[in-house]
Amino acid sequence: MEWLRIFGARLRGLFRKRNLDRELDSELQTHLELLTQEKIRSGMSVVEARYAARREFGGVEQTKENYRRQLGVPFLETLAQDLRYALRMLRKSPGFTAVVVLTLALGIGANTAIFSLMNAVLLQSLPVRNPQELVVVRYVAAQSEHADEDFSYPMYQALRDKSSVFDGVIARSGVSFNATYQGQSEHASGELVSGNYYDVLGVRPWLGRLLSPEDDQAPGARPVAVLSYGYWQARFAGDLSIVGKQILLDAHPMTVIGVSPPGFFGTDLARDPAIRVPMMMTLAFRPIPANRMQSARHRWLTIMARRKPDVSIAKAQAATEVLHHQALEEQLNGLGPSVKAHDRERVLASHVLLNEGNQGFAHLRDAMQQPLVMMFSVTAIVLLVTCANLANLLLARSAKRRKEVAVRLAIGAGPGRLIRQWLTESILLGLLGGATGILFAVWLKTGLIHFLPAEFSNTLRAPLDARVLGFLAIASVFTGILFGLAPALQISRSSVTAAMHGEASLAVSGERFFSLRNALVFLQVALSLPLLIGAGLFLHSLRNLRGVDTGFVKENVFLANLNPALNGYSTERIRILYAGLLSRVRSLPGVRAASFTTSSAISGGWDQEGVRVEGYQPRQDEDTSPNAAVISPGYFASLGIPLIAGRDFTDQDNAGRQKVVIINQSFARYFFGDADPLGKRISTDDDPKAPLNMAIIGVVRDSKYVSLREKPRRHFYTAMAQEPHLFDMTLQVRTTDDPRSIGDLVRAQVHDLDPNLPLYATTTLEIQIDDSLTSERLLTWLSTLFGIVATLLASIGLSGVIAFSVARRTREIGIRVALGAQRADVLRMVASHTALSVSAGMAVGLAAAYASSRLMAGMLYEVRSTDPRSYAAASVLLAAVAALAAYLPARRAAQVDPVTALRYE
Amino acid sequence: MASPRGEVLQGTLDLIVLQTLHAMGPLHGYGIAQRVKQVSEDLLKLNQGTLYPALLRLEQRGWITSKWGASENNRKAKFYSLTRAGRKQLLAETESWERMTALMARLLGGAEGA
Repeated sequence: MEWLRIFGARLRGLFRKRNLDRELDSELQTHLELLTQEKIRSGMSVVEARYAARREFGGVEQTKENYRRQLGVPFLETLAQDLRYALRMLRKSPGFTAVVVLTLALGIGANTAIFSLMNAVLLQSLPVRNPQELVVVRYVAAQSEHADEDFSYPMYQALRDKSSVFDGVIARSGVSFNATYQGQSEHASGELVSGNYYDVLGVRPWLGRLLSPEDDQAPGARPVAVLSYGYWQARFAGDLSIVGKQILLDAHPMTVIGVSPPGFFGTDLARDPAIRVPMMMTLAFRPIPANRMQSARHRWLTIMARRKPDVSIAKAQAATEVLHHQALEEQLNGLGPSVKAHDRERVLASHVLLNEGNQGFAHLRDAMQQPLVMMFSVTAIVLLVTCANLANLLLARSAKRRKEVAVRLAIGAGPGRLIRQWLTESILLGLLGGATGILFAVWLKTGLIHFLPAEFSNTLRAPLDARVLGFLAIASVFTGILFGLAPALQISRSSVTAAMHGEASLAVSGERFFSLRNALVFLQVALSLPLLIGAGLFLHSLRNLRGVDTGFVKENVFLANLNPALNGYSTERIRILYAGLLSRVRSLPGVRAASFTTSSAISGGWDQEGVRVEGYQPRQDEDTSPNAAVISPGYFASLGIPLIAGRDFTDQDNAGRQKVVIINQSFARYFFGDADPLGKRISTDDDPKAPLNMAIIGVVRDSKYVSLREKPRRHFYTAMAQEPHLFDMTLQVRTTDDPRSIGDLVRAQVHDLDPNLPLYATTTLEIQIDDSLTSERLLTWLSTLFGIVATLLASIGLSGVIAFSVARRTREIGIRVALGAQRADVLRMVASHTALSVSAGMAVGLAAAYASSRLMAGMLYEVRSTDPRSYAAASVLLAAVAALAAYLPARRAAQVDPVTALRYE
Repeated sequence: MASPRGEVLQGTLDLIVLQTLHAMGPLHGYGIAQRVKQVSEDLLKLNQGTLYPALLRLEQRGWITSKWGASENNRKAKFYSLTRAGRKQLLAETESWERMTALMARLLGGAEGA
């Protein structure tokens, strides 16, 4: 800490300077007098003595200067001087300053906006106590590379109760509620959490109390709930008296005991559950299977744990692995001899994996990492192009400030001092740009978040915290240095005489200028071209995705979800409700068809179910499982999916009749080849002795199910009327006009049937598909926008270079024209160097794009990342823009009138 | 850095000043210069002016402190004295200096012997 004290002493010196100067004066005076007296004593005359004393002492002024240098902080003093000067210069040319600051504000702001998203999604820890101690426990099945996060409740109990390496182990599982309060029902997201959830995470109540282990002792014993701050604000308007009141979750009265603090969203950034209830209430909200809490086979909850402070992840992992294995053995032993040796081996070969849990369950991170890094690269490149452009601008300006530089050199400023002055100016510009950029960053960040699907945009916050502001500051300074360095170095190389001579010497130093400026053009072109190519590839890919043959008609379909099971409806009542609602909706004006399904198209989630198929013998470990959905009659009509053979379900296909199933083409081809599938039988019961109880009655065309990118999948549909258990389903309504207009009418029908039944997740099929393309759309939008910005910047830079060269060589051009040079010769003369730079830049840009194409490959759909058409289109576009940008100023050169030009000076 | 005029290295000057103050007690700048001249028997030609930035440096490091007093000719003069930290520093530097000179002596003696 010594340097700190010295720095402090020096800083004090800086402020007490005048005083100290006087003190030093008198100190030196005394010294000189004593020395003189000594000389006199040794026999010198007064004059001689004074002279000798001076000589022995050395230079008084030099001593003072050295003393002063030691006294203060010369760096700070010079800085203050440079800053004052820089501010004066910037004030003197407000136009220039404004252009530079605004350009930088856009460049730095864009980077900051993307960084704030990266910060929130990729870097931010959970808002809990000591998040670095947390781990996520993951499960790796035997012979599998893939880890998932699902565990059974008995496994959770084993880890919680027997582990010695953890300070606490928590479990959670997502759930949906129909929440009713004062007669108003709505859909609310929720979470079943273990009693120690808040304690282990270290979250304190905002209001009332949070769940405790006592709330989670016996099944169904404590019907209590904790609200999230956001939900409490939105639904209960921050009503303090809510604590102790009852709300109806599904059909169960639950007492609100408290509110968790603002900013706490749980353990997954992408989810912000509104209501949390004890895990021991699980069966109230998820009654099936009834043995959920005892069964080791049902893996339905996720686990996080807090390591003891001195336990490393590796150590915790080893201990947990042992515990996991023991628990599995005990569970298998409990099942008795019915377990086959093969299965037993498989189960015991599974293991657990502990991952850093400071970010919780980071599904959003996994999904967004690649697009975010890509976006960040794009904005960083644009910032580089901006820097090159500004460097060019400063170069032009430095030509104008030649006289000023000459004066500074003449009065003794060294090159180092000049570079410092210029860098101070450019860093100041960078900081001003960064400060202004905050506004743009906030705007862009908000816009980007709105671009995400509602499920993320509602919960994702990307605050401008210390890390983001730190990034902004560093980016600003770095940018300032980057675009200021080239001009500063250039200016520091000027010689006094050359600078003093002004115009006469320009031709000589001009050549150097010329090449540096062209190098900057080269750089801008080389950076812009990959951006344009990337934009082209993304556009192409997005167009391909939009044009994908989905196999259904996506226009004019209204979607809404309904979950009467949550309100305690039996499956029989649900069936009646759904049938009643369908006939009501079908008779609404503007409705062409309506149906129910368990999985709507491109919603991201579908069920998979294993099947046994008549006449098909699967190989060992062949995964034959197709997708499955439960649908009502009219499903294919409301999506416009053509029936290829057989028939659709009818109302007669009910519980009392033969179970029937409809398959798609891929299913038919996979299991039956060319044989006729109609009438063939299948079963979803995996017991090989069970009869094949379902008959195939129809074949429909393949369509897209989970995502637009998927390969054709095997798929089968079963009839809603024959399904033993019904839960939530999606209502699909095909309309004649804008599907959104039907929403209120449908809602009124539902309200008419049961006022406590909320209709949720209402959307249209087109929006749902668009939402599935969020990151593609975002990347396309941003890369196109920034590709254009970069190209424009590059062409402005290029224009400037040629204009500069023309202005500088007017006289030379005049002479050449007078001597008979043709227009084309003149054009060639002023533009040839720049044309060379552009060509070289394009070559390097193409190579760079090609070299980095692998990074994009995974994000493109049916476009190769080296697609020659995109490369060619981007190159032609850039070349055309560059030619235009070069032509406009070059034309002026060709129009130079030799007489005027020769009189020019 | 040894120029013909026998200028001293910064570190050496620091050590000399500290040792002088240790041996003589509080002194003003002229006094220190006198003492150095005396001890070095004019072998070491110190530009006396260079003493002042050095004194300031030592003061900033907290090794010496200064107080205003009256000189022999009754002028205002600053008297410098060693602090505890300065004493410690002197000890440490003396030690390392001795190690260095011993090393050099051995090295040069060896060269002579060979």
